[in-house]
Amino acid sequence: MSAAPPPSSGRELANPPSDGISNLRFSNHSDHLLVSSWDKTVRLYDAGANVLKGEFVHGGPVLDCCFHDDSSGFSACADHTVRRYVFSSGKEDILGRHDAPVRCVEYSYAAGQVITGSWDKTLKCWDPRGASGPDRTLVGTYQQPERVYSLSLVGHHLVVATAGRRVNVYDLRNMSQPEQRRESSLKYQTRCVRCYPNGTGFALSSVEGRVAMEFFDLSEAGQAKKYAFKCHRKSEAGRDTVYPVNAIAFHPIYGTFATGGCDGYVNVWDGNNKKRLYQYSKYPTSIAALSFSRDGRLLAVASSYTFEEGDMPHEPDAIFVRSVNEVEVKPKPKALPTPPP
Amino acid sequence: RKHFFKMTNLPSDQLLQMETTCGSLLYELQVIWDEVGETDAERDKMLLELEQECLEVYRCKVDLANRCRAQLRQAIADAEAELAVICSAMGERPVHIRQSTQNAGSLKEELNAITPQLEEMQKRKMERWNQFLEVIEQIRKITLEIRPTDYTPAKFVVDESDLSTRKLEELHKQLQCLQKEKSDRLKKVMDHLKSLNLLCEVLGIDFKQTVSDVHPSLDGVEVSKNMSNETIQRLASAIEKLREIKLQRMQKFRMWQLQDLASTMLELWNLMDTPIEEQQLFQNVTRNIAAAEDEITEPNTLSMDFLSYVEAEVLRLEQLKASKMKDLVLKKKSELEELRRRTHLVGETNCEGEFAIEAIEAGAIDPSLVLEQIEVQISTVKEEAFSRKDILERVEKWLAASEEESWLEEYSRDENRYNAGRGAHLTLKRAEKARALVTKIPAMGDNLAAKITAWEKERGLEFTYDGVRLLSMLEEYTIVRQEKEQERKRQRDQKKLQGQLIAEQEALYGSKPSPSKPQSAKKMPRTSTGVPSRRLSLGGAIMQPPKPDLLHTNKSIRSAKKTDDIGTLSPGRRGLDLAGLPVKKLSFNPANPPREAETPRKPFAPIVIASNVPSTPLRLISNETEEENKNNLKTAMAAPPPKTPMTAYIPMQMAMTPAPTCLMYEAAATVKAQKAEEFTYSFEERRLAFCLTR
Repeated sequence: MSAAPPPSSGRELANPPSDGISNLRFSNHSDHLLVSSWDKTVRLYDAGANVLKGEFVHGGPVLDCCFHDDSSGFSACADHTVRRYVFSSGKEDILGRHDAPVRCVEYSYAAGQVITGSWDKTLKCWDPRGASGPDRTLVGTYQQPERVYSLSLVGHHLVVATAGRRVNVYDLRNMSQPEQRRESSLKYQTRCVRCYPNGTGFALSSVEGRVAMEFFDLSEAGQAKKYAFKCHRKSEAGRDTVYPVNAIAFHPIYGTFATGGCDGYVNVWDGNNKKRLYQYSKYPTSIAALSFSRDGRLLAVASSYTFEEGDMPHEPDAIFVRSVNEVEVKPKPKALPTPPP
Repeated sequence: RKHFFKMTNLPSDQLLQMETTCGSLLYELQVIWDEVGETDAERDKMLLELEQECLEVYRCKVDLANRCRAQLRQAIADAEAELAVICSAMGERPVHIRQSTQNAGSLKEELNAITPQLEEMQKRKMERWNQFLEVIEQIRKITLEIRPTDYTPAKFVVDESDLSTRKLEELHKQLQCLQKEKSDRLKKVMDHLKSLNLLCEVLGIDFKQTVSDVHPSLDGVEVSKNMSNETIQRLASAIEKLREIKLQRMQKFRMWQLQDLASTMLELWNLMDTPIEEQQLFQNVTRNIAAAEDEITEPNTLSMDFLSYVEAEVLRLEQLKASKMKDLVLKKKSELEELRRRTHLVGETNCEGEFAIEAIEAGAIDPSLVLEQIEVQISTVKEEAFSRKDILERVEKWLAASEEESWLEEYSRDENRYNAGRGAHLTLKRAEKARALVTKIPAMGDNLAAKITAWEKERGLEFTYDGVRLLSMLEEYTIVRQEKEQERKRQRDQKKLQGQLIAEQEALYGSKPSPSKPQSAKKMPRTSTGVPSRRLSLGGAIMQPPKPDLLHTNKSIRSAKKTDDIGTLSPGRRGLDLAGLPVKKLSFNPANPPREAETPRKPFAPIVIASNVPSTPLRLISNETEEENKNNLKTAMAAPPPKTPMTAYIPMQMAMTPAPTCLMYEAAATVKAQKAEEFTYSFEERRLAFCLTR
């Protein structure tokens, strides 16, 4: 607090994780921020007060985390476990296990279920209210074509992105088989997938500096809307450098979205008007994760090396919480009737 | 009296006439009486008599009429009663009775009305009755067929008081049930007969005899087969008995099978090349090796005769096998040797085989065990032979080529080679061919060496050729060749020196060498008469290429290794080569093409450069490789650590165009970025692998 950080980056949280940040998420009820890390912990911060409120140590690197309600959350751990913990009591129990590291976890308010995706090529649904014991909590296991890399939920839609550029879209009410089986429209490995808040589609980013905007509607008109754009690239001395796009976060109110790449930049885009709204100044290292707070006034940015070049010295892992100016995220009205020359 | 007639419907004139006749007769009587002079008393008495007689007649008539009426009533009552009985028996409501008494017509009308009804009903009753009889007869028949024991005639008396359709239906139902039962039983019997027939066939037992033992009616084509419970039971038990026999025999069969006789039979046939015709006799047996009880259906497969036949054959084969075992072992062994010889594998089992034979003779080892061992060896050798095939073919070619080379050498040494003699043109041709071939030897050797190293790496074994490691053979060859080259060179130098010496001497002593004679001619002092020296030197020149080539091959192999080293090193240094993940490929793929393009080219490179080329360009390449690597990494993944000047770049752009920068949609992907496609693992997976190895 005393050390004034560059004003452009936002406020850096004290007591950051000691190893790479795998994900961070704001609570749906407060400005609490849940952070999972390769240092085998899940940390809970009060982003408003810049206070570390709790820390939960795991058996292995934690690859993802999410809130249940404001007082409890879930984690996906590389030791194959899915855990639930209650922040107030520090109580922690294992919801169940996968056969391989668990890559991502989501909680669906609509279904009241925890959904986890793992490198064991399955998706599992859990009922966190089920009596203790994994035999009771597991609702179902759903085979995926490849290792699960990213999950996203909106309403009853569940989008699963896996290795091999496969994308499965499920309806949470009928998980017996995917509603849609797709191939990523990008040519390279998928890094992140996030659903639009309005529930009409999802954005998908790849390791090759590109984001695809997809729509659930399979009609010709619906599919005609889809497009992809390049981002997080650098052109220097006639040489193009392309960076992976690690994170996508949608603004809960305006539906615009921020992307974070291994170039250390966070860009804010207006998907409808196909415009870039803003670019924040460069962070010390790769952007590993992004999250808007429930009202969209805060943006948490994990600046943390994502191992894209293997083991090498890198800037310290840090979490920045910046207050978001409306102008940065609000879509600009179109230059109305007459299109620009 | 008058009023008597009033009741009648007779025409009144007839009555009047009758009255007048009566009156006139009375008058006549009075006249007669008057004439006779009868007394009044007499007259009154006579009249009274008359009156009485009349009365008598009337009474008589009335009685008659009365009796008639009674009869009619009786008839009606009877008819009604009968009708009622029939109706009740037939289960129908007697509607008409009430009706007829209500609208009472005369009795005759009533009777007339009821009679046809009665007749109708009687007719219907008759029909119904016949139906009943018919059904009951059928029931009786079937019952008699099915259960003759509990047949009692009393059961089949029809109760006439109940002829209702309901009852008839009941009977029909009963009949249907019985018919069904009958057909079921018939089916059962037929099934039993069929399975019995099958069993009999399999076991070789007379079917007709067995069946007529059970019940004579079952035999033959007779339609009505006895199907009482008893028969069925007896049939079943007969089947059971036969099945037991079958099982017993099968057990026996199985026992052999346990002893592996049936299958050894196959094996023995195989070993002893038993003719097919002989084998076919036992096809049934061998086919049934794996069959279950109900799968054995072929006639006679389990008949006693056949079983003993098989037994005998197995015994015969066993004996044959015992006697021929040694031959077999030898045969197999020679097969193994042949295989080894063909694949140039040296077996370490030579002495072992001998030992085995001795041991068999001494009875110390079960020959079948040895046989089995040899079989296993054969199969492994075959497998190995397959994997070696490609390389062996190349070795053959290479060997042939080197043979040609040595021939060529020999030939070149022959100074009379250009003497026109018989077949000289053929040797010339051969030499020409050989020269062409010789130029290819280095490349062949290279290729071969690469193949061998790949093979060895894959298997972790040395590739041996007749017991010698093939690679060392190759190396030896190259060394020998090099030595030969050197030797040749030294000779040449020496000759040159000698020539110079001679020239000097001649110069010293005044005799000058003729200018028309090139020096090279002098080099070959023993040149035969007719051969132009130019050609000789030409031959020498032709002989030259192998030398640099050879040198070169050696180096190119080494250089290839070197680059390989670099290739594996650099990604490691870059921190990518974690846990052997396939990313490695990506990192040096771009480095490979130029190198690979270079290697095959080298053998054909000019001689002079050959000596220093491999070192310098190689370094160049490796530099390039690294640079490529770096660039590629950058493009594929991320920025190199801190030396990025881009912080200054993009924000400036942003400052110039603060908000809406147009995006570029789906522009052509850069070629370099495509390498990213080879990522098969995400950063997280690689990171975890790294964490785990740490």
